[in-house]
Amino acid sequence: MSAAQPQTMAGEAPEPDLAGEAPAFWPTFWKNRMAAAGAVVLVILLGLAIAGKVLTEWWIVFDTETIRLPDKFKPPFSEAALGVISAPDAPVFGRYLLGTDELGRDVFARMLQGSFVSLSIGFVAVGISVLIGTALGALAGFYGNLRLGIITVDTLIMRFTDTMMCFPTFFLILTVVALLPPSIYNIMIVIGLTSWTGTARFVRAEFLSLRERDFVVAAQALGVPEIRIMFRHMLPSAMAPVLVSATIDVASAILTESALSFLGFGVQPPYATWGNILADGKDFIFDAPWLFFTPGFAILIVVLAFNLVGEGLREALNPGLRERRT
Amino acid sequence: MWAYILRNVWQRLILLVFVSILAHSVVHLAPGEPSEVDPSNPRMKPEDIARIRAAFHLDDPLYLQYIYWLRDLASGDLKSFKDSQPVLPKIGQRLLNSLPLFLLTTLIVWGLSFPTGIHAAVHRDSPFDRSMTFLSYTLISIPGFFLSYLVILGVVDTLDVPVIGMSTFGMDEAVPVFQWMDRLWHLAIPALMSAVMGIAILSRYVRSQMLEVIGQDYVRTARAKGLPEDVVIYRHALRNALLPFVTMFGFLVPGLIGGSVIFEQIFAWPGLGRLGYEAILARDFPVILTLNFIAAVLTLIGTFVADILYLFADPRIQIE
Amino acid sequence: MALRRWFLVVPAVLLVALLQAYFWVPTYDQQSAGNPKRLLKYIEASAADAKILNPILNADTVSSGITDYVFEGLLGADQDLRLRGRLATDWAITEQAYLIVRPDKRLPDGTPVSAAELKKRILDARDRGGRSGLKGLLLAIDVLHPETRAETVVTPPAEGKPAEIRVKVRVPERLRFSLSRVDQDFFSRLEPILGSGYLDGFPYERHVDAEEPGARAHLHLVELLPLAEHNPVILFQLRRGVRFHDGTEVTARDVKFTYDAIMNPKNLSPRVSDFEPIKSIEIPDPHSVKITYKRLHSPAINAWTMGILPQHLLSEEALNAETENLSAAARAAFGMREARFNRHPIGSGPFKFVEWRDVEFIHLERNDDYWEGRPELEDYYLRIIPDPLTQEVEFRTGAVDYYGAMPHQVARYLKDDSYQSFSSLALSYSYIGYNLRKPLFADPRVRRALGMAIDVDDIIRYLLYGEGERTTGPFPKETPWYDPAVRPLPYDPAAAVRLLEEAGWRKNKEGLLEKDGTIFEFNLITNSGNPARKNIITIAQNAWKRIGIECNTQYFEWAVFLEDFVDKGAFDAVVLGWTTPPLDPDLYQIFHSSQSGPKQLNFVAYNNPEADRLIIRIRQEYDPERQRALAHRLHRIIYEDQPYNFLYTPRTTRVLDKKIVIVERDAKDQERYVKIYPTKGGTISYYFNKWRKLAFTPEF
Repeated sequence: MSAAQPQTMAGEAPEPDLAGEAPAFWPTFWKNRMAAAGAVVLVILLGLAIAGKVLTEWWIVFDTETIRLPDKFKPPFSEAALGVISAPDAPVFGRYLLGTDELGRDVFARMLQGSFVSLSIGFVAVGISVLIGTALGALAGFYGNLRLGIITVDTLIMRFTDTMMCFPTFFLILTVVALLPPSIYNIMIVIGLTSWTGTARFVRAEFLSLRERDFVVAAQALGVPEIRIMFRHMLPSAMAPVLVSATIDVASAILTESALSFLGFGVQPPYATWGNILADGKDFIFDAPWLFFTPGFAILIVVLAFNLVGEGLREALNPGLRERRT
Repeated sequence: MWAYILRNVWQRLILLVFVSILAHSVVHLAPGEPSEVDPSNPRMKPEDIARIRAAFHLDDPLYLQYIYWLRDLASGDLKSFKDSQPVLPKIGQRLLNSLPLFLLTTLIVWGLSFPTGIHAAVHRDSPFDRSMTFLSYTLISIPGFFLSYLVILGVVDTLDVPVIGMSTFGMDEAVPVFQWMDRLWHLAIPALMSAVMGIAILSRYVRSQMLEVIGQDYVRTARAKGLPEDVVIYRHALRNALLPFVTMFGFLVPGLIGGSVIFEQIFAWPGLGRLGYEAILARDFPVILTLNFIAAVLTLIGTFVADILYLFADPRIQIE
Repeated sequence: MALRRWFLVVPAVLLVALLQAYFWVPTYDQQSAGNPKRLLKYIEASAADAKILNPILNADTVSSGITDYVFEGLLGADQDLRLRGRLATDWAITEQAYLIVRPDKRLPDGTPVSAAELKKRILDARDRGGRSGLKGLLLAIDVLHPETRAETVVTPPAEGKPAEIRVKVRVPERLRFSLSRVDQDFFSRLEPILGSGYLDGFPYERHVDAEEPGARAHLHLVELLPLAEHNPVILFQLRRGVRFHDGTEVTARDVKFTYDAIMNPKNLSPRVSDFEPIKSIEIPDPHSVKITYKRLHSPAINAWTMGILPQHLLSEEALNAETENLSAAARAAFGMREARFNRHPIGSGPFKFVEWRDVEFIHLERNDDYWEGRPELEDYYLRIIPDPLTQEVEFRTGAVDYYGAMPHQVARYLKDDSYQSFSSLALSYSYIGYNLRKPLFADPRVRRALGMAIDVDDIIRYLLYGEGERTTGPFPKETPWYDPAVRPLPYDPAAAVRLLEEAGWRKNKEGLLEKDGTIFEFNLITNSGNPARKNIITIAQNAWKRIGIECNTQYFEWAVFLEDFVDKGAFDAVVLGWTTPPLDPDLYQIFHSSQSGPKQLNFVAYNNPEADRLIIRIRQEYDPERQRALAHRLHRIIYEDQPYNFLYTPRTTRVLDKKIVIVERDAKDQERYVKIYPTKGGTISYYFNKWRKLAFTPEF
């Protein structure tokens, strides 16, 4: 069972009904204390990621690149050896908050930078997969019976989805990433391109049932253009499960990236990601354990937060569950 | 009924052809050469490389290469670029190694998820439910290799026994019982590690299915009839909650190939995932393509069986 | 409710059944300490599996590591990296030279050229001695009568060229000189006798006819009928009574068979180019082999360190027996590559093959019949453990005797009392190579400046933990070809900036170097999966940034790296390493200007006519002393040009349990233990056959 698995399973799981969405959503969400904690963590993380981008690349406070070989493998909170390394090379406050790595780079700065990169991998990959999945699912669900020559649109799209599902996902990602020139964009795109099948399937199911609803039938009777019906009327109603699964998919995309890094196909320098800091750090587990544990637990906490928020969203969006809760 | 099955099989066969063509194009169009053709070997001259390329049909058009591959696969003559060994026996051998790990993992996942999932659902919002929820989310969120290393280091340091490989090295002369138990131990740790994520996900799913079913009218009716709670839960509710899991068998099978790369790599397990990974690194096209093909066949068989099972299990489904 | 009980019992039983297995597993202590048999086993860990256990077919280090134990070559390297006899007891290198008699020419005094006249004059010159240097060199001259030779030439595949050309060569009258040693200057020694124009302008086309009209244009006429030809000859005497592991004696026929198998195009042997210079192999008697080469090529003899195959197991008949159950198509395609032998090899080396389990282990056992005496260890295992961290865990617990430890791990073991370590220079070097096709790197001052900006000593000190040495040129440091008088580039960023200024690069407002409106920016790439190289590109990037150079770094998976960048010459600069063969100083493929085409190894496109001349002379020189002098000159030229910034030669550091020692036996079979020590080539396994693990830690 791989890191890529939750996508398949999550694709099955969310089955919220939208009937009574708005009024009780937030109260229910906040009542779930774990989800609330997860949301707080995510907000902090978002702040960190933005701070990471700003403070390590635009207005360099935390220097991720400077190499200080004499200061390699310094444990967290240790002071920089100011006599040996020159003053401009010294870290902020003269201390390495999370220690240094094999080349004497500041782990704190790299983790900060990595938070932005890791998050953007998650978001972009999931963005791609949601886009493809929703579009194909909506088309298949709405134009299901339209014939193109010998087959219907629905059959065409769903057979293609089935084709994609025949590949073992992680193996496919690995093949493509190994064969393509490595770049952060390729990794985002590949993860995105291989994880949309679940979304497509349940968006289709949602559209199939929405198509028969009164408000859609009424809109059609009024002569509202089909595109408009699809995107203005039906799509927003189908978005709730997409949102839930997307939240969880971000988590699994971050895990997939770390798994790829472990096998040596991860994101390249100059980008630091938590995945590649962790994968590089594992070789030094006896010499510099912080290189292994810091990114490991960071990934754990963030992925956990995404999963909990996803779960909270699911519960808050599902009135059936809510009723029974009270 | 038979018409449905036949159509189903036919559709899957067409799908298989598309899958194999897609896989073939992806592998051959990407850059990278089989490592036997590695031009960085200072002893290899361009002429030698040209000869080897010709022998592997690497310079033929893509569709011809596809046909050669299909022909050799059908006749069993397909050979690995890397060591000229026939591909199918090679995969067969690895399959035999992967199978126990896969079966045990599945057994652990299903064996542990159902009890915990059901218990959590029945005792909803109890401390057990809450801690299981949190625990399963934690387990989903740990990178698999991170957890594996922690466990390996823990076992080696505290218990002082080996966990790497399929058996302890040099046990050839030991009593058979010891050998079997040794193999079981070497199987247990990687199986537990690869089961972790499955348990976490599946038990969550079981829980939510059970909750769904427990809220249904017929369960209320059963309760109202005064049936004991256990009978209500385990006979009436569970049976209906089980239905969706039938379909999951189909998606389980490809895990045999793709799901285990990382664990096989860490635990030095000579299984299919590693075969695939090494084949990718060496650009051993016949092995990559055949593995992909087998994975597709397994998935299709899995979903086919699931469809048929569903047919029997759910009386609500009607065949046109 | 039964089902509910099952739901409790099944998982509980399952977990208990799994975890109780722990009590049956031997602990590491039981495995390594309480087990006398373990002491006679040597277990090595490797990340990769072998591919094919046939010395003429394998091209990877793991496979050749195993075949080195199982097979024996005619020659081997001794502890000082000189050749020593293995299957061969003795060998002598002589030469046969040929010269075409040209009746169209006249000798310097106007006499018409004839075979008898030439022979007389040359013999006279030899007997007079003096400056000609023929005395002691020239043994005899024979006159060969004209003949006509029919031949089929196979040309390298290319567009619009016939693959095979049948030709008829009319060989005129020739003189054959038997020489006591190889001498590349032999014909220039004859020049005072022959006259200066004798060796020029030979009308080859009058002597060669191609059957297909027009095909002659594709032929290399000089190779078909050289006017003056050097044929080095090696005569090997084989050791008597050496047997393959199945009991058959190793004879000269096996040597010839091995050569034929390599040259058989069906076998796709990667060693063809090593053996291609051979003209013919003759077997005067079962224990001698006479090898005649087509041309001067001094590295050719080193090819005979390769293992010798048993003819009786791999001949046509033996292979045919294997194909009985196969389809017709498969039988037609069946060659040595497909033979069962490749997974069950039988050689004549110190260890016999026992078992190979795919990606698990390879097991060898000692050859009690080995001609040099049986090894001390009973078994050799190569365990395949892909993950470096698990390798380390297994090593620390004693389940593995050796693994390729990384420098930081070595640094840790050095502090541990239970390990011994050996460190010796590896036969390899790391470098930064610049693509000389790019105008940016055309100026040698720029390349030198780039090298001077990097603190290589710091890299050695902190990344290699001191386990490395600076190197300045392409030859292995421990060989005589390396010139120690060449000093490494100093680390001096200020001087580097001055050099760049001389070359026209000035700092602009942003502190970046600029020339004619463009800033100094390029990409530095390397392959993934090599932590040291990954670190070097990061360090170089950082170091150059400090002197105002923008450098972007990236690493690519090996196959992609080669195909998309290196082979096409589509890169700016690379970090790579070469392993340097210790036995010959041939740099033809890496530095000769003719080798800079696509997919060739001079991918930086180094081009220096003087270097080209020296490279050719070195590979034609058979005298070690003269070879050394030529190599020193070449070393200096390449250093001055800096096509590469030569960084360092790593030290191979090996860590072993202190209990492993060399066992020496005296005449009375008394054992004496000696601490393991590395030889000049950096190997500790030179005495591997004498290794054993003791039950106690010896004191030395």
